[in-house]
Amino acid sequence: MNLPRYPDYDVMEKRDTPSWDEVTRNVIDERLATPDDPHFFDAVEWRALCALCACIVPQDQRRPAVPLAAFVDARLAKNTGDGYRDARLPPMRDAWRIGLRALDAESRARHELPFASIDDEARHALLTDMQQGRLDGAEWCGMPPAVFFTERVLHDICGMYYAHPRAWSEIGFGGPANPRGYVRMVANRRDPWEAAEAKPGHEEKAQKENRRVR
Amino acid sequence: MTQTRTIDIAIGCAIAAAGLALVRLGGRKAHRSAVQTHIDTARTFNRSSALLALSVLTDSAMEHYRGSFENPAMYTPLVVSTVSLFAGLHGGSDNEPSRHPVRDAVYVSAALAGVAGTGFHLYNITKRPGRWSWHNLFYAAPIGAPMALLLSGALGAVSERLRDEPAHEPRLFGMPAGGALSLLASAGLLGTLGEVALLHFRGAFQNPVMYAPIVIPPIASALLIDAALARPREHWFTRLWLRLTTALGFIGVGFHARGVARARGGWRNWSQNLFNGPPLPAPPSFSALALAGLAALRLRETEKK
Repeated sequence: MNLPRYPDYDVMEKRDTPSWDEVTRNVIDERLATPDDPHFFDAVEWRALCALCACIVPQDQRRPAVPLAAFVDARLAKNTGDGYRDARLPPMRDAWRIGLRALDAESRARHELPFASIDDEARHALLTDMQQGRLDGAEWCGMPPAVFFTERVLHDICGMYYAHPRAWSEIGFGGPANPRGYVRMVANRRDPWEAAEAKPGHEEKAQKENRRVR
Repeated sequence: MTQTRTIDIAIGCAIAAAGLALVRLGGRKAHRSAVQTHIDTARTFNRSSALLALSVLTDSAMEHYRGSFENPAMYTPLVVSTVSLFAGLHGGSDNEPSRHPVRDAVYVSAALAGVAGTGFHLYNITKRPGRWSWHNLFYAAPIGAPMALLLSGALGAVSERLRDEPAHEPRLFGMPAGGALSLLASAGLLGTLGEVALLHFRGAFQNPVMYAPIVIPPIASALLIDAALARPREHWFTRLWLRLTTALGFIGVGFHARGVARARGGWRNWSQNLFNGPPLPAPPSFSALALAGLAALRLRETEKK
């Protein structure tokens, strides 16, 4: 599949333009300064989380990676919930602790190694079983693995990936619509401060537009 | 909030200056000979046409840029209003007592472009889902905007026709010229009123001042109709009211600038707020028509019946 491309578009270029204000700058600066070590998880859980993130959102090795595990950990440390919860799962913090420990336990049962130490194929097989609800170790403490997979693993890790400005640049997203909003609210119209999508064969045109997006 | 404060002060100064001018000038008129009045009226109509054209030029340039010039026809008002603006500036300083063929052709084509534009805007409204709905009237192509181009052309075209008339008791459309011109200016004010009423209603009259252009111009319009249809006499109150309407148009720009400052990001975010906020070039349309009304009134007061 050919994904839309926004060559040379960097949402961070908007930092000091009318597109962002002090609040936006502070929020993003704080997010980008997230320390890349665990504050909520212990070292064992952290290794499992890092491995899980690498499976759920594989990242291009040639580019600086989005520190997914750090974002998830920071969120849990702050304990900012969603404002809703699937009643089949315990609260967010408990669900993550139980889930990561259970994942390690399942991995040990199959391969005598923690989740972070098994190869990609074994990891994928384990995650597929988790997604399809075929895991039933005692370590799950009654939490349905399939629900944990969709409501926490996918939801939190993917959500955190798209919380990073680098992911915004990748998908041509303009960041918070504050203070800058949109003027041309019709399909297929672009405001001058929005990312320009490259049409095949016209990449330079989009590049030129994207360099002056403010 | 410092931006709105600055603009508030500027508006206050403008209102004070306008108030002072109105008090000093009141409804008194400047004395001129009949010959002079005839050509002066034509020249003022040229100038009013130019002011309207300037309004149309800036407004359509901004709004059609916002519409990404999706249809090449969207360049038409830019070209036509620019030419009409130059014709108005030329005619405004021209004392020749006869029609200028090039200016006249420009004005007639501006009027025709205005009619065509109204057609295009109607099509734009009705092609959208919901067709004749408040939503489309508010957010599709503004139905009244091309009328300003029609008015610019009409004011200019009658000015050229007035020049062809004898200096003594000129006539237009089978009635005394002053009366005909008063009716034209009156109709223009009413048309513009419709557009303003619709868009200020869309703006929920969030500032009570937004009622001013709904209240003042229709009275000016009614007074002009009265001046046109009643026996000619001194109309000091009409003159005063038309001067007030003229001031209203220019002060309106200040309030619209304030609206831009109030939007998220204020003037620093001008590249968005000039298009999302109240249109800066719109209010002077009232000034242009009121100035035309004043000229028509001057001519009307020299007439016998």
